Amino acid sequence: MADAVFLALTVITIGSAIAALEMRSLIYGSIALMGTLGGIAGFFFLLDAPFVALFQLAVYVGSIAVLILFTVMLVKRELIFKKIEDRKRKFAGIGLMLVVMVSLGAVFLDSGIKTITTDEPAVDFRDIGTDFVTYYWPALILMGLILAGSVTGALVLARREDVENDQRVS
Amino acid sequence: MLEITSTPLVIIGILGTVGILLPIISIARKEQGSNTFYAIIAFAALIVSMGYVGYQFLEENVSPSALFAEDVVVDDAFGGFFAIAMLIVALFTTVGSFNYMRKHNSPAVYYSLILLATIGMVLVAYSTDLVMLFVAWELMSIPTYILVGFRKKNPSSNEAALKYFLFGALSSAIIVYGISLAYGLTGSTNIGEVIQGYSTLDPSMLPLALLSVGLFIAGFGFKMGLVPFHQWLPDTYEGAPAPITALLAAATKKAGFAATIRIVILGMVVLHLDWTLALGIIAVMTMTIGNIAAIMQKNISRMLAYSSIAHAGYILIGLAVAPHSSLGLQGSLYQIMNHAVMKGAAFIAIAGIVTTLAVTHIDKLKGLGRRMPVTALGLVIALFALAGVPPLSGFWSKLMLFGSALDAGTALWWAPWLAIAGVLNSALSLAYYGWLTRKMYFEGETEKRVIEPKSVMAIMIISTIFLVGFGVYPEPLIKFVELATPVLSLGSMP
Repeated sequence: MADAVFLALTVITIGSAIAALEMRSLIYGSIALMGTLGGIAGFFFLLDAPFVALFQLAVYVGSIAVLILFTVMLVKRELIFKKIEDRKRKFAGIGLMLVVMVSLGAVFLDSGIKTITTDEPAVDFRDIGTDFVTYYWPALILMGLILAGSVTGALVLARREDVENDQRVS
Repeated sequence: MLEITSTPLVIIGILGTVGILLPIISIARKEQGSNTFYAIIAFAALIVSMGYVGYQFLEENVSPSALFAEDVVVDDAFGGFFAIAMLIVALFTTVGSFNYMRKHNSPAVYYSLILLATIGMVLVAYSTDLVMLFVAWELMSIPTYILVGFRKKNPSSNEAALKYFLFGALSSAIIVYGISLAYGLTGSTNIGEVIQGYSTLDPSMLPLALLSVGLFIAGFGFKMGLVPFHQWLPDTYEGAPAPITALLAAATKKAGFAATIRIVILGMVVLHLDWTLALGIIAVMTMTIGNIAAIMQKNISRMLAYSSIAHAGYILIGLAVAPHSSLGLQGSLYQIMNHAVMKGAAFIAIAGIVTTLAVTHIDKLKGLGRRMPVTALGLVIALFALAGVPPLSGFWSKLMLFGSALDAGTALWWAPWLAIAGVLNSALSLAYYGWLTRKMYFEGETEKRVIEPKSVMAIMIISTIFLVGFGVYPEPLIKFVELATPVLSLGSMP
């Protein structure tokens, strides 16, 4: 049963990711991205990590994907760059991806990973929280700085320089 | 237990606070044009951080190079060494941006992002945990993606930012994959515990451990600009704002080496993996491709970008022979410190030239020695130091690197060939550095002197004092390198 669900999730996740890249319409591309993010949430459920899965759904599918969707709808279409097809590069990229995936798969199959069984209980979300404020606390501060840097940087990049400050206020 | 006064935490405190406050002050003052004000605050924060690192060394509050620790960061000499190198480059970048940012908007955010990226770089060097290392890696990367694309209306800046972002995101994904494998195999993200776990791994799991080490090399290799992960680098260095190129070439690259030494080299020693030949081949390819491509460039930024790739190859020589020669890591660290100053100074000189003359084509640098004498002299000294010309500081680090390859010759028959390849490549690099010097000093006759940016002149003078001073009297720097070099053995584990 778990194998079938895993395969179904894999098809949904990878299929939606390819669709998100290939769709000419940004709206459909954004919706396909939601499929990828939702598929990843499914993997977390399958791995006995419901807390992370729900966060994935709430944060990525629920807010980030919706935010992207709204942004796409608000941006003028003519401002989006044109898609330039280069078939040679495209097939080279697909070929390289297949080589990497087959090589990684071969390494996994060649290892003893299939023999591993574990009966350890799933990690409690309280343990994750405790770790974050004890062992990982400096990393938590850095995450805050990453968010601060990302937000201020994004604001500067998104700011229109042809609009004066007084116009912006009014 | 992590002390609140330990160097990495104090650096987070100082640079993080100032980095967050700068944009807030900018909003409060409702002004965009006061570049000098924000630059001075950022400069002061970096000087205080640098002073604290130095104070910790002088007070002997820094532990010997440990590589492992129970916490997510360790206040050791290895991290301190990299912190000093990266803070020097961040200072160069900040001072070099004084003039550059006069013509651009949002100076507060610009300097804020430099400070945040500096925290990331420094913390990568201090990290002893994979999660901490990855978070620091991202803190280093995300602000630099934005800084590279800071000239929003310039198509080459946009292209540079997009390429850098895509390759950076790919490298981050590869690193996360490596971390997930390491965690899956050992049940820990602490580097010491991961490597201890690797040493007692079931033989059937070794291919996965090997894969995780390979993924780390590939992930860090993107930032280091190793061949074949270097494609993004020339376009990004050419399109980025000139002072930011100094930050990328001289500092973020070093973070890649710090992470590699912390994880990969130790992992290889513990796993008894003989990857020395593979690293040796990558080193030779990186040096040779970088130098050959540099000779063919007409744009000075692209030339130095390829030269930067070549230098990653020189540094890799030391890492390749590290398991067989104690001089290997020392040579790499020595070259890392010198390269930070040499390349930082060279790119800041270019920033000065771009700001004053608005040229980057090499043919248009004719007579630069007369037009901008201080900048040209500082640039030439940095270039000759990069080539390893005695008595400049770059000579001693290259001597140590090539000496380590000869030293490892007793265990690895091919190691002396690395030294030969290194010497030949240095000679090759002298050809294009010499050509550039000829253009600046022996071509063009009618050019008149222009006013040089004082901030750039100050950096040229400081870098020249460093390169000539430590070239004539290298002992203090060599002792510092010895102090910072970790011992590659299981005995150094907690």
